[in-house]
Amino acid sequence: MTTEALMWLIPLPPFLAFVLIVLFANRSKALSHTIAISAALLSWLGSMIVFVRALGVEHLGENPFESSVNWLPLGESVETYFQVGVLVDPLTAVVLFFVAWTVLMIFLYSVGYHNFGQPEGHHDHKGLPPHGATVEEPGRQRNTPHSGSVDKHVVPSVEPMYSRFFAFIGLFAFGMYVLVLSDNLLTLFVGWEIMGLCSYLLIGFWYAKPSARDAAVKAFMTTRIGDVFMLLGIAYLYSSTGTLSFRAIFVPDTLHALQTIPSGFLGFSAAGLIGLLLFVGTVGKSAQFPLHVWLPDAMEGPTPVSAMIHAATMVSAGVYAVVRMFPLISLDAQTMTIIAFIGAFTAIFAATIAVAQNDIKRVLAYSTISQLGFMIAALGIGAYVAAVFHLITHAFFKALLFLGSGSVIHGMEHGVLHTGNHHVDPQDMFNMGGLRRKMPITFWTFLIGGFALSGFPLITAGFWSKDEILADAFSHGHSTVFITLAVAAFMTAFYTMRQITLTFLGEPRTPEAEHARETPWTMTLPLIVLSVFAVGYGWVGIPEHFPLLGGLVPSWLHEFVGGTLSEHPEAVEFNIIPLLTSLVVALGGLYLGWVTYRNVRSLAQDRFQIPLLKNKYYVDEFYDRVFVKPAYWFAENVVYKFMDQGVIDGILHLFGPFTDRFGSFIRNYFDLPVINRFFGDGSAEVTYTAGEKLRFLQTGRIQQYLMLALVLFLAIGAVLYFLMMA
Amino acid sequence: MNFIDAHLLSLILFIPSIAGLILLFLPSGEHRLIRWFAFGASLIPFVLSLIVWFRFDASQPGFQFEEVYVWYEAIGSSLHLGVDGLSLTMVLLTTLLTPLAILASFTIHDRVKAYMILFLFLETGMLGVFLALDLLIFFVFWEVGLVPMYFLINQWGSANRNYASLKFLIYTMGGSLGLLLAVQLLGVRFGTFDLLDLYTQWNALDPAEPWLGMSVGTVKTIAFWAFVIAFAIKVPVWPFHTWLPDAHTEAPTAGSMLLAGVLLKLGAYGFLRLILPLYPNEAQIFAGALALLATSAIVFGALASYAQTDFKRLVAYSSVNHMGFVVLGIAAAALAAGTPDATIALNGAILQMFNHGLSAAGMFFLVGVIYDRTHTRDLEKYGGLFPLVPVYGGILIFTSMASLGLPGLNGFISEFLVVRGSWPILTIYTAISMLGLLFTGAYILKGIKKVLHGPLNEHWAVQRGEHRLAEINTREILVMVPLMALIVWIGIWPAWILDVINKAVVMLF
Amino acid sequence: MVPLSWYLIFAALLFSIGMFGVLSRRNAVAILLGIELMLNSVNINLAAFWRYGDVTQMAGQVFAIIVFAVAAAEVAVGLALVISVYRRRNTVIADDINMMKW
Repeated sequence: MTTEALMWLIPLPPFLAFVLIVLFANRSKALSHTIAISAALLSWLGSMIVFVRALGVEHLGENPFESSVNWLPLGESVETYFQVGVLVDPLTAVVLFFVAWTVLMIFLYSVGYHNFGQPEGHHDHKGLPPHGATVEEPGRQRNTPHSGSVDKHVVPSVEPMYSRFFAFIGLFAFGMYVLVLSDNLLTLFVGWEIMGLCSYLLIGFWYAKPSARDAAVKAFMTTRIGDVFMLLGIAYLYSSTGTLSFRAIFVPDTLHALQTIPSGFLGFSAAGLIGLLLFVGTVGKSAQFPLHVWLPDAMEGPTPVSAMIHAATMVSAGVYAVVRMFPLISLDAQTMTIIAFIGAFTAIFAATIAVAQNDIKRVLAYSTISQLGFMIAALGIGAYVAAVFHLITHAFFKALLFLGSGSVIHGMEHGVLHTGNHHVDPQDMFNMGGLRRKMPITFWTFLIGGFALSGFPLITAGFWSKDEILADAFSHGHSTVFITLAVAAFMTAFYTMRQITLTFLGEPRTPEAEHARETPWTMTLPLIVLSVFAVGYGWVGIPEHFPLLGGLVPSWLHEFVGGTLSEHPEAVEFNIIPLLTSLVVALGGLYLGWVTYRNVRSLAQDRFQIPLLKNKYYVDEFYDRVFVKPAYWFAENVVYKFMDQGVIDGILHLFGPFTDRFGSFIRNYFDLPVINRFFGDGSAEVTYTAGEKLRFLQTGRIQQYLMLALVLFLAIGAVLYFLMMA
Repeated sequence: MNFIDAHLLSLILFIPSIAGLILLFLPSGEHRLIRWFAFGASLIPFVLSLIVWFRFDASQPGFQFEEVYVWYEAIGSSLHLGVDGLSLTMVLLTTLLTPLAILASFTIHDRVKAYMILFLFLETGMLGVFLALDLLIFFVFWEVGLVPMYFLINQWGSANRNYASLKFLIYTMGGSLGLLLAVQLLGVRFGTFDLLDLYTQWNALDPAEPWLGMSVGTVKTIAFWAFVIAFAIKVPVWPFHTWLPDAHTEAPTAGSMLLAGVLLKLGAYGFLRLILPLYPNEAQIFAGALALLATSAIVFGALASYAQTDFKRLVAYSSVNHMGFVVLGIAAAALAAGTPDATIALNGAILQMFNHGLSAAGMFFLVGVIYDRTHTRDLEKYGGLFPLVPVYGGILIFTSMASLGLPGLNGFISEFLVVRGSWPILTIYTAISMLGLLFTGAYILKGIKKVLHGPLNEHWAVQRGEHRLAEINTREILVMVPLMALIVWIGIWPAWILDVINKAVVMLF
Repeated sequence: MVPLSWYLIFAALLFSIGMFGVLSRRNAVAILLGIELMLNSVNINLAAFWRYGDVTQMAGQVFAIIVFAVAAAEVAVGLALVISVYRRRNTVIADDINMMKW
C-alpha cells in the first residue's frame, strides 16, 4: 500500500471501532475491547509503517508525504474549493509515533483498569464507579481456620459501562489521529473538537456523580472559550490567505504578507493576531493559565482517560497546534512574548499548587499543566525542537505516571475492599506509604516516570528535553524565562519526590495500604513499555556538543524535527551554566523532597499545606463569582426576564390593551348608539312589528296557502280579464 | 410517466393537499389507517423531490423544471413554479421533514383526522413558498401556511396554547401586511407578478424618477423595509423573536419540528429569494443594521436559552441563536455582494438553514419523546435519566452536539463558513457573535446535564409503577435515523449538497 | 275527429280534480296523488296541442316526457319523505307534521 493511502486509513479503525461498539457490540464486554484494541493495533501498525517510511526519506521537510481531496465546493472554480488532506512531515512523524504507542498502551491498560473478567457487582449502577462484588467460594487457607466453611470476600467488580468506555476512547483516538495527520487547520480543528467531546464524555463517564458531571461541563466550557477564539483565528487566517493548508501558508511570500499587514488591533500584525487567536485555543486545550482550571477537575474521569486525554494526547494537541503554526506565530515578536510569558508563568504557577495537593492524580494534573507551560514557554522563546522534544518525552513519562497512579489507586481500592472501610480515599497519598513492597512493578516504573519528570540527569528522557529548553532559554538571552523555568523545574523535582516518598517509601500508614495488591498484567505491561520510552527516548536528542556523551549517539531528533521548518534551526552552543542548573535543580529537588517527607506520618506534619496553595490560589472561586454566576444572572434576569419578557413582550402586549381600548371606544360611541340602536335595533323593530301584524297569515298549512294562491289567482285573473275586455 | 415528468413540481406541491382532501372521506375512527395514509401520502412528494434532486443540473443557470399555469390573468399573476439550487435544497428539507413529523405524531389520539389533514395542508403551504416564482403566489402560500399551523398549536398544543397561537398568527400576519402592500405595488407598476420579470424591471428603474409623489429610490426603501419586517419576524431576527419561544413551546411535538425545521426557513428564504435580488442597493446600505440584529439574535438567543428551566423553551431559544448565523451570513453577503467572501458567507447561511432544519427538528422531537413519557418539561424534574434510557441518551447527546456545532457534524461546516465569510466583511460583529457560540455550548451542556447526567431522580425509576421511564421505541428511532444519518453525512462529506448550493449562489448573487 | 277543445276541457277537469285533492286532503300521500293528477292534465294538454299543431315539431311530446321524469323523481322524493316522517312520527297527516311551525 502506498504511504499516502495508508495515511488516510490510519484514523479509520478507531472510528469504525466506535461505530461497531455503539451499534452492535455494546452487550458483549469481551467483543467490545477486542474490537477497540484491534483497531488501536491496526492504527498503531499503520503509524509505525508510516513512521519507518518517513525515516527513510531524505529532506522529508521539503518533500513530505501528502495527499488531499476537494472537500467544500466554494466559489466559482475548483481553485477556490476548500481542500482537506493528510500530511506526514517530520513533526507529524514523531508525534504520530508517540501517539500510536501511548494510545495502544492505554487501550490495553483500560482492560485491566475496568476489571475485565471480574464478576458484576450487585450494587453497581450505570454512571457510578463499580463498588466491588461479593463472591463466595469454598474456604481456602486464608481467614478460614475451619475447613469446609464458605469464604465470603469482596473483589473489584467490572465496570457496568465497559463497552461504552471503549467506544468513547475509540472515538477519541480517531480525533487524535485526525488532528495529527491533518494537512490543514480546519481538519486539525475537527479532530481537536472531537477530542474535546470525548474528553467531556469521559470526564463525565461516571455521570451520576455530581462532581464528575460538573467537571465535564467545566472542561468543555473552559476549552470552548479557547476554541471560539481559535475559530476566529482560523477564519481570519483563511480569509487573509485563502487557504488553511499548512504547506500553502508556510511559503515565504504568504508569511511575509501576513507579517506586514497590520491587523488594526493593538499594533499586532495580521500574523501576530492570528497567532494570538490560535494560541488562545491552545491555552484552553493545554490548560494554560488562565484557562487551566478544568484540568485538575478532569481527574474525575477514569484514570486511563486522565492518562490518555489529560496527559499524553489531547493536552499535547494544544502544544502541537502551536508547534504546527510556529512558522506563522513566530513572525510577531509581541505574540511570542505573550506566549513565553504565559508558558513560564503557568509552569511555575502550577508547580507551586502541585506541592500542596494530596490527591495522587491531582498532583500529576498540576504537574501536567506545569510541564505544558515548559513547552509553551519554549515555543515562546523560539526553541522549536526543544519544545517538540519535551512534548514527546513528556507524553511518554506522564502517561506512564498516570497509568502508574491508576495502578496505585487500583491497588489501594483492593485494600479498601478488603477492609471494607469505604471512608478511606484510595487516591489520598496520606493513606498510602510503603507500597514499593506490595506493588513492585508499579513502584519501579513509577520511579522511572517520576525521575524522568524531575529530569534526573543523564539516564532519563526528561532530563535531555528539559535541559534543552533551559539551554535554549539561556543561550538566547531569555534570562527571565530561564530563571522561572529553573525554579519550576526545582519544584517539579521536589513535589515528584514528595509524591514518590509518600506513596511508595516508608511504612504503610493505613491498613488499606497494607493490603494493597499488584495489578494484573494488562495494567503492568503498558507501564513497562512506557518506562522503556521514558528512559530511551531521551537518547535520540542528546546535543551534539554535550561533554562525553555528545556525538556517541547522533543528535537525530534535532536534525529530523528541525527539518520541518524551512529555515533549519541551529543547535545551541554548549554552555555549562544551564547544564549545571539542570543538575542542581533536579538532584536538589529530589533530595529535598525525600528529606522532607521521608518521616512524614500524617497530614499534620506536612509543612506545605498552605491554604492559598491548597485552594489553588482561589482561581475557581474567583471565576465562579466573577464570570459564571454573573453570566447566568445576566442571562436569566437581564436577557430573558427583562429584555424578552419585560421590554419586547411588554411592548407587544401593549398592542392588546390599545386595540382593546380603541375597540371599546368605537363600540361605545359609535357601534352601540348609532349602528345598533338606530340602524340595527330600529330596523329590527320595524321588521318585528310588521311580522307581528302579518303573523296571522302564516298558518303553516300548505293547503291554505294554495287555496289563498288559487283565490288570488282567480281574482287577479278576473280583474285582468275585465281590464282587457274593457 | 410523461405526465409525471412534465408536472413534477406541481405534483410535489399539490399531492399533500389532495391527500388531505382524500383523508376527509376516510372514517375518522380508523386511526391506524389515517396515520399510515397520511404518512404514505407525505412520502410521495419526498420521492418526487428526490427525483428532481437527481435530475437537477446544478451547473445550469436559472430555474429548472419550470411550470406555468394560468391563475389570475386579469392582474398578471400566474402559477409559475420552478427550482434552483437554493429552493431545491429547501424543498428537499420540507419533503423530508414532513413525513418524519407525521411519523412523530403517531402518538396523537385526539382528532387524528383533522390533525393529519392540517399537516398535509401545511406541507403544501410551505412548499408553495419555496416553489413559487410569482410574487403573488409566493404571498398566497406564505399566508396559507399560517392557518394550519395556527390550528395545530391552538388545538393540539399544551397549556398556554391560546396565547401562543394567537401571538404567532397575529404577529406573522401583522408583519406580512407591509409585504402584501409592497407586493401589490410591484404588481401594479409592472402589470406582472412574475419574479423573473420583476428582477430585471424593478432593478432597471431610475431611482430619481418620481413615483407616488416620491422618488423611486424612496419608494424602494419603504418597500424594502416592508419586505424586511415580514421576513425578519418569520426568521426571527432579534427583537422580533418573542413569538418563537411561545409558539415552539406550546406547539405539539411534530408542529415544533416543522416550525423550527421549515417555517423559520421561509423567512430566511425570503431574504435570499426576494430581498437580495430585488433590493441589492438598499440591502447594502442597511446591511450593518441587519448584522447588528443578527449578532444580537446570536448572543441574546444563546443567553436567553441558557436561562431557561423549560427544556423545550431552551431548544426554542436555540433556534433564535442558530438562525442568527443565517442572517449574519446574509448581511455579510448584502454588504459585499459578489465578492468571494460573500459567496462563502451565503453558502454557509444556506447550508445553515438546511442544517438547522435537521438538528432543530431532531431536538424538538427528542424533547417530545421525553415529554410523552414524563409529562413535564421542567429541567429540574429530570435528572440522571441516562441509565434508564441509554439509547435515547445517546441520540440526545448526538443531536445536541450537532446543534452545538461540533466539528464532524453538520452544524460546524455551516457555522464555520458563515464566520469565515463574515469575518473580513463584518469583523466586529463576527467577533461578538463568538460570545453566542460560547453560550451555545453552555445551554446545550446545561440541557444534557439536567436531563441525563447527575444522580438519578428516583421518581422515574420506580420499578413496577407507571412512572418507570420507557426507552425510546422503534418508531421514534426511525424518525431520528434519517436526521442523524444526514447530520453525519453533511458533517463528513458536505460536497453533495454544498455543490448545489454553491453553484446557485455563484450564479444568483 | 274530436275537436281540440274537448281535450282541453278534459284536461281542465282533471287539473281541477287534482287541485281539489291537493287543497282538501289531509293525507300527505293523497296530496301527492293530487299533484300527479295535475301534472298529467298538463301532459294531456301538451299531447293535444302537439297533435293539433305542427306534427313535425316534437317539442310537445318531448316536454311531456320530461314532465314524466320530473314527476317520477318528485314522487320518489315525496314518498320517501312521507315514509320517513311516518316512521318517526307515526302519521301521514300533513297538519300533524308541524315541528317547524311557530
